[in-house]
Amino acid sequence: MKLMTCPVNGARSISEFVCAGEVRPIPDPNTTNDLAWGAFVFHCNGAAGIKQEWWCHTPSDTWFIAERNTQTDEILRTYLWGEVA
Amino acid sequence: MPFRLLKFALSKDHPEPRMFRQPDRLKSSYDAVIIGGGGHGLAAAYYLARDHDMKNIAVLEKGYIGGGNTGRNTTIIRSNYLTPEGVKFYDESVRLWQDLSQDFDLNLFYSNRGHFTLAHTDASLRTMRWRAEVNKHFGIDSELVDPAEVQKACPMMDMTCGGHAPILGALYHAPGSIARHDAVAWGYGRGADLRGVEIHQQTEVLGIQIESDRVTGIETSHGTISTPRVLCAVAGSTPRILDLVGLRSPIYIHPLQAMVSEPMKPWLDPIIVSGSLHVYVSQTARGELVMGASLDPYELHSTRSTLDFAEGLAAHMLELFPFLSHVKVVRQWAGMADMTPDFAPIMGKTSIEGFYLDSGWGTWGFKATPVCGKTMAYTVAHDRNHDLIEDFSLSRFENYELVGEKGAASVGH
Amino acid sequence: MMRRISPNHDRLQSLSGTWRDINGMPSLMSIPGDEQTAAHLGIADLSFLTRFGVKGAGAAAWLESRDLEVPDRPNTWRSLPDGGIIARLGLTEFLIEDSLHSSFALRLAEACQHVPDRVYPVLRQDAAIVLCGTAIPDLLQQTCSVHFQSFSLNDHPVILTLIVGVSVTIIPIAPDRYRIWCDGTFGAYLWETLATIVQELGGGVVGADRLI
Ligand SMILES: Cc1cc2nc3c(=O)[nH]c(=O)nc-3n(C[C@H](O)[C@H](O)[C@H](O)COP(=O)(O)OP(=O)(O)OC[C@H]3O[C@@H](n4cnc5c(N)ncnc54)[C@H](O)[C@@H]3O)c2cc1C
Repeated sequence: MKLMTCPVNGARSISEFVCAGEVRPIPDPNTTNDLAWGAFVFHCNGAAGIKQEWWCHTPSDTWFIAERNTQTDEILRTYLWGEVA
Repeated sequence: MPFRLLKFALSKDHPEPRMFRQPDRLKSSYDAVIIGGGGHGLAAAYYLARDHDMKNIAVLEKGYIGGGNTGRNTTIIRSNYLTPEGVKFYDESVRLWQDLSQDFDLNLFYSNRGHFTLAHTDASLRTMRWRAEVNKHFGIDSELVDPAEVQKACPMMDMTCGGHAPILGALYHAPGSIARHDAVAWGYGRGADLRGVEIHQQTEVLGIQIESDRVTGIETSHGTISTPRVLCAVAGSTPRILDLVGLRSPIYIHPLQAMVSEPMKPWLDPIIVSGSLHVYVSQTARGELVMGASLDPYELHSTRSTLDFAEGLAAHMLELFPFLSHVKVVRQWAGMADMTPDFAPIMGKTSIEGFYLDSGWGTWGFKATPVCGKTMAYTVAHDRNHDLIEDFSLSRFENYELVGEKGAASVGH
Repeated sequence: MMRRISPNHDRLQSLSGTWRDINGMPSLMSIPGDEQTAAHLGIADLSFLTRFGVKGAGAAAWLESRDLEVPDRPNTWRSLPDGGIIARLGLTEFLIEDSLHSSFALRLAEACQHVPDRVYPVLRQDAAIVLCGTAIPDLLQQTCSVHFQSFSLNDHPVILTLIVGVSVTIIPIAPDRYRIWCDGTFGAYLWETLATIVQELGGGVVGADRLI
């Protein structure tokens, strides 16, 4: 069983979590153009590496950020938005 | 023991000619370089040499031939997709499959089984009715059948799934088939090799040289070569190669796992797929059950296997086939699936001249191997997208022109 | 009073025992012979208790302003004055469940007509279950990935996790008494799955009388 540590609920089976993709800045929808918006909506940084990702602990609806190596699946740290862990 | 074998055991010479040559060094330049010695890359090389008379070609493979998703997939071949673009494309592929064995003079064990996609809910029955209509419109053999029909084709199935997911009907696709994946890679490899194509295994692409938006060469683990055309057919490694040329794409990589059981007497003729239960299964000529489920739930560039997967898949298999409870699982593995948001591939020319993509094939690209090879060979030879792949270009995302195959592809393979 | 039906009602109604209406809900109070069952492993429905949920950055302060002592750490609980429970779910969400002798839920629901900013009432239509008996660990080991023995009950832990794939809130009140809440729509499934395993382990369904 692979574990992930939710900053609020503690260590749990990875099956209790869902990943919502990399944390990245959103362009201002009022000023951006279609091309840049399309790139934001669809394109992603698909290569392997250490990434900051949004995750949610589903039984408690707790959203947080996990720093994870997408090649080895090592979870380096988890923290709440706005917190510098 | 046959004497022939004994003789070979004592002789220093290799008994049979190898499937293809092992060129010992790279030339300094090629007319085209294909990255990735999977089915797609080798097929493209084969058709370039056979149909377009381009023979000064190298296929670069960082591991060994067919060691990627080509050798890891569960070999389901079908064409009952949901969108007109998809249906036309896959149907052409199924047609090409039929006579490949002859083309290669190699037994691909192409075995026509029939393919059932089970519906356990009214909603999925509705989608299937729609799929059957789209399919029929394009002349594809596809129909909705009732539970009695399903039971007849597969008497061993528990039609109620333990009481909580009764089977309400199925989409039946008579041409659904399976084939021997390794042989596909070897067949295309040998065919290309015989026509002069060089296949370099253990040769990794590390960089791609570009001058004013044009490809000029490739850096490999065995030195640099110059070439005006590069076809990238690396499935799960696509984002890494795109990084090398500075292109962005929506492709994200998830592992897709599969497993096989010990061999049994033949009892399962058709291919059975259930989206709701996340299972698909077929029985090989050797009697093993080949089983798969849906994608692993998050991005990972690795081919590790998990117990969670084996457990979950086994549980769902038992809902359909309770009598299998004592059958053993003998192997489990994973491949890296290159997924796109609309479950359609990304193919053709890109904004970099001479850089062509054959990617985004995710969990369903084995069946498309022949047609991908054919259309990509055309595209590379003419520097113009083949008609059949026009809708699959990378630029469709920026132009908001997605294809929308999710309903038919998500667990279907 | 409004008539309520337990999310587990379908699975319970065929059982013969003593039934009583509590808070407008038909409730199974006892089953012949459930005393021995309860000592080993029992499962009972407590959905009839009244409950109230609230969340938001201002929720803790608002509850305090209504004279409730709130648990100060996330994922802990404390007893209400008359035996009910107030549980802090995560950082800013609370579940209040009355005993038979209190009516906090009703009063808070009324007060909720006018709530300050950043206080949001949460509709609670839970399936509420209690497990009892010494064999609880055998049941949970098969159905849940949390290692309950690692918690100290003196810390009053509240655990949000999955049981057989269903999101649940769990409070181990005592080693032989665990409370479980889940969304009512999953109630029948959770109940049936747990009750089946309880039976396999030699336990059974018990009435609520002895457990409240
Ligand atoms: C478990 C599983 C089940 C599947 N089931 C089905 C199915 O039932 N039906 C179906 O139609 N499809 C199925 N698929 C999908 C199918 O396998 C793939 O879409 C298809 O095989 C892709 O072929 P390919 O030649 O493009 O890629 P691959 O076979 O993966 O070949 C790519 C090659 O590129 C090489 N490479 C990568 N990077 C470099 C580099 N830098 N330099 C040199 N070489 C490099 C790799 O080593 C690899 O050999 C399944 C996939 C998986 C993983």
